[in-house]
Amino acid sequence: MTEIILMAHVLFGMLCIVAGVWLFVDVLHANEANQGRIKRVSIAVAALMWLAYLVGGYWYLTYYYVDKAIILKGPWPFAHSFFMEMKEHVAIMLLLLATYLPIAAASNTAVNKGARKVVLWVVGFIVLIGIAIDGAGAIIGIGAKVALMATKG
Amino acid sequence: MDTLSKYTVSFGASLAITSILSALLVVVKELNENSVLAWMKGLTSHHWITHGLLMVIAFFAIGWGLAKMNNGEGLKITPERLVCVITSAIVIGGLIISGFYLAD
Repeated sequence: MTEIILMAHVLFGMLCIVAGVWLFVDVLHANEANQGRIKRVSIAVAALMWLAYLVGGYWYLTYYYVDKAIILKGPWPFAHSFFMEMKEHVAIMLLLLATYLPIAAASNTAVNKGARKVVLWVVGFIVLIGIAIDGAGAIIGIGAKVALMATKG
Repeated sequence: MDTLSKYTVSFGASLAITSILSALLVVVKELNENSVLAWMKGLTSHHWITHGLLMVIAFFAIGWGLAKMNNGEGLKITPERLVCVITSAIVIGGLIISGFYLAD
């Protein structure tokens, strides 16, 4: 069950990034015809980020202490002390960016170049920070793996 | 038609402010485990839940407040300046958090 929760966290995060790339391309080619889709996808990005945050948060608060103890005793303690600590706090910033996105995307990006610029920067940050956080998650996973391998000799 | 809506500007500025506040709160709580961190843990059982809740509340409260400025017309900033403010805050906030844990 814990693995399913963890995989759901990663899945929602990855879908958020994919939807973010989709939105970025759509806003680059903003016109009157795709305004409805831009607004819907921006809401989807925010919803997926909130799901990733809540599911990941539940796992972090309920199950992560076991992994944390293993990682800190292993050869990659920085997987927790830097990558997890950084990830859990940068994620709050990412959540705020994603929450703001539908507010910025509510403007007509086909005619308002200023609003288009704001949406592009915000969704660009969501995608880049999302990828960085995904990478941090992978390092945390490897940190637990190398710690378990070290105990097996 | 390059004028941003009052909510785009106000909540964009709020995003920048809360991103910096969040990064500063990381430093303050980690350096004050017996007071700030303990208070945050006591409030919701985990400091990270409190941190997230405080930032989401601050984001909406500050955004709402900025939207009420200028007799309800909201904060006035050009799109270029708003992008600059948001970008700077995200980069500085990220550097504060990463730098703190790197040095810790």
